Amino acid sequence: MKGYTDMKSEDRSTAAASRPYSNPYLAGVLLGLVLLASFVILGAGLGASSGIARIGAALSVCVAPSHTLGSDYFGKWGAKPLNYYLVFMFAGTFIGALFSAILANRIRLQIERGAAASASRRLWYALAGGVIVGFASRLAQGCTSGQALSGGALLLSGSLVFLLCLFSGGYAAAWFVRGQWHD
Amino acid sequence: MINTLFSLDALDTSRAFFLALLIGFGFGFALERAGFSSSRRLAGVFYFTDMAVVKVMFSAVLTALLGLSYLIGFGWIQLDQIFLMPTLYGAQIAGGLLFGVGFVMGAWCPGTAAAGLAAGRIDALVFLLGTLGGSVLFNELFPLLKPLYTAGNRGAQMAYDSLGISRNGFILAFTGVGVSAFWLSEWAEKTRTGRSPYLGSPFLKAFSLILVTAAAGLFVLTPARAGASEKSSNPAPLFDGEEKALMAKVEQARDHIEPEELADRLTAGEPDLVVVDVRPAGEFAAFHIRGSLNVPIAQLAETLLPSKNKGLIVLYSNGMTHPAQARDSLQRLGFGNACLLTDGLQGFRDRCLKPVSLRPEPLTPVDAGRVNAWRAYFLAAPVISNKPGTAQTPSKTLGPHVVETDWVAASLAMPGLKIIDLRPQPEYNASHIPGSLSLNVESLRGNIKGVPSMLLPPPMLAAQFSLLGLRPSDSVILVSGDKLYDATLAGLAFERLGHADFAVLNGGFAKWGQDGKPVSAALPVVTESKYPAKTDDHAFTADFQAVSASLGKPGIVIIDVRPADFYTGKKSDEARAGHIPGAINRPFSEDVVVRSNKVVTFKPTEELAAAYGRLIPSTNTEVIVHCRTGHQASQTFFVLKHLLGYPKVRWYDAGWTEWAARPELPIATESQPPEPERPR
Repeated sequence: MKGYTDMKSEDRSTAAASRPYSNPYLAGVLLGLVLLASFVILGAGLGASSGIARIGAALSVCVAPSHTLGSDYFGKWGAKPLNYYLVFMFAGTFIGALFSAILANRIRLQIERGAAASASRRLWYALAGGVIVGFASRLAQGCTSGQALSGGALLLSGSLVFLLCLFSGGYAAAWFVRGQWHD
Repeated sequence: MINTLFSLDALDTSRAFFLALLIGFGFGFALERAGFSSSRRLAGVFYFTDMAVVKVMFSAVLTALLGLSYLIGFGWIQLDQIFLMPTLYGAQIAGGLLFGVGFVMGAWCPGTAAAGLAAGRIDALVFLLGTLGGSVLFNELFPLLKPLYTAGNRGAQMAYDSLGISRNGFILAFTGVGVSAFWLSEWAEKTRTGRSPYLGSPFLKAFSLILVTAAAGLFVLTPARAGASEKSSNPAPLFDGEEKALMAKVEQARDHIEPEELADRLTAGEPDLVVVDVRPAGEFAAFHIRGSLNVPIAQLAETLLPSKNKGLIVLYSNGMTHPAQARDSLQRLGFGNACLLTDGLQGFRDRCLKPVSLRPEPLTPVDAGRVNAWRAYFLAAPVISNKPGTAQTPSKTLGPHVVETDWVAASLAMPGLKIIDLRPQPEYNASHIPGSLSLNVESLRGNIKGVPSMLLPPPMLAAQFSLLGLRPSDSVILVSGDKLYDATLAGLAFERLGHADFAVLNGGFAKWGQDGKPVSAALPVVTESKYPAKTDDHAFTADFQAVSASLGKPGIVIIDVRPADFYTGKKSDEARAGHIPGAINRPFSEDVVVRSNKVVTFKPTEELAAAYGRLIPSTNTEVIVHCRTGHQASQTFFVLKHLLGYPKVRWYDAGWTEWAARPELPIATESQPPEPERPR
């Protein structure tokens, strides 16, 4: 695969060319200002998982239109689930990140993992984690963006509870999946 | 005061999509700057090796929270102009725990994975595919999950209300927690990795101080008010007493009114019943419950002050979330008599206005009588958007016009309403408006005395109308696909037979589908009629002799509606290239708006009036429109004659096909009529 660098973490030879990350506090302030703009302009916070779920619904409509449109959850999104502002926000997120990554010379085709971990272990974990996150985001009506970040900034009870539970679940499971980061 | 797109109910517009794309751009940029395009960095928070997640997240939450609180304090925005997601303890506890497990396994979350993908991370791509699968899985399992999905529903619930403390107090405490988390994170990193560039740094000290000062400053800007004063529009938390009153009302289900009850009380003409439509003015104009007022959410309290705690205020919109927030904000201002219409406008339509014949379940004669009485009352209101006030009842007194999907959906069972679908037959057979008839628009045209594509003479049109079961008294709705000019050409067939009661469905079938209106694949039941062919109205057409005779006459405007390249002669698919001397070019496509999803609608009447006002000297000017075969020009004819009211418009049916093929007729190939000389 051309351009593929099997970069284990902290591989200085390639990492040297990319610029260091911003001060996390200032990056956080920038993120907070974007969120504030979203509140003021759209009247709604940021979101990411809805965009993915709607892409899922659109694929589902392509594969099994009558089943999808008749289903309780995707069905209410109609025949054109992609006509939704969070789908556009998700596309924007990708473009914005691409822009930043290009500026900082941080684009590397790689599977990020610990030096001692195999690529397949990392990818299986990523896949399983993705399925769980996709499912949990629908259940909780939002992800880290929509619930934890946006709902948290609005001080919504459910969103703050979600945030606490997210870290509880994460710390409880961290020990079991640490192998993917072993160097 | 800022109006958010949410408060304008405009989050589904293309403008909102564009702004969301821009905001998404900023979101992705900030995530990538923070280093969240690296899964190792994200996972670090769970092993105390890299606490960037905590630092970035708390910085962002505190920035947005404090920024928003100051904007509220200055009175620039209100909290109820923002979509407040419901609190559902069951779903959010279970979802949060599961999400945490998925987060630490995948080391991505949906937003950061988009950033990771942009930075070339293959594990982010795999994670996103998993997320997609997880969403589909959720949909498949939804019937089983429903109880959990709605468990512990508290509506829009603020944390400080749950804890019973003041908003400002909570914000200060929350800021304190955030700042402590920064210092703890730095300390943890130092302990684990030996490195912590910010621990004890002047930067972190200053940053912490700024945040705490800003949080404390809120006490000065918006001092907590004692008692239930209501003089300010400041969205103070629900006061205890009012909160209890609201909860008590929810308990008694007095905060909702069922559509049937509202319909009965409105038809009975009950005084002191105020029905408020909180949708945008455009939607209100298209259709609303008869007797309702259209009030923007930001002006509700002011407008409804005379009805405060007097009679009943009913709020409705398309859905329920929006009016529920409006009701809560009115409640906070001391309105004890505001309630919601259960299931919103859609529910009212389905439960009260849906014709008896279209209901899946049989109705008792008493209920059927009620439905018919409601329909008679509510559908008699002027509901046609572009002719307010003229439509007493949707009947044959109306001339040709444009109708919106809402009106057609509400009138489906109206006696004498005939819907004609002009889309290709396979599309019609796949799905169409219930009861509609399929008609191929090309079957209305043929070769007449050597000239192709001419609108057929009355007896032939009448024969087709008879087979469709049409009668001269019918109200006809013409439905196109993405070519509105299919509908307007069919309209000319009705015009030729003197049948004035026809209307074009704005946006055609695509709009109907997009608006989620009912569809069917069943063929309609038709009884053949005898449509009379007695009239032959030629007054609206012009032949080549008439056009030729008008050449060079100052009072007559000829409009060529073909695309510009055909007008100039750059392109040609006829005997000669160019245009009729003196004709001006206004392509038919200029009169419509094409949206990405094949929805084609007429431009707003004012815009069309302004555009043609520049081309045609006065409303009494004689106008002749033509294209190649007459198809596209039928649309311009409809716009000029029926939407804008130009009385002297004629349609040159044979068009350029004939003109180009008669060598004795003059042609021109210059681009536009000579413009006045410009001073150099």
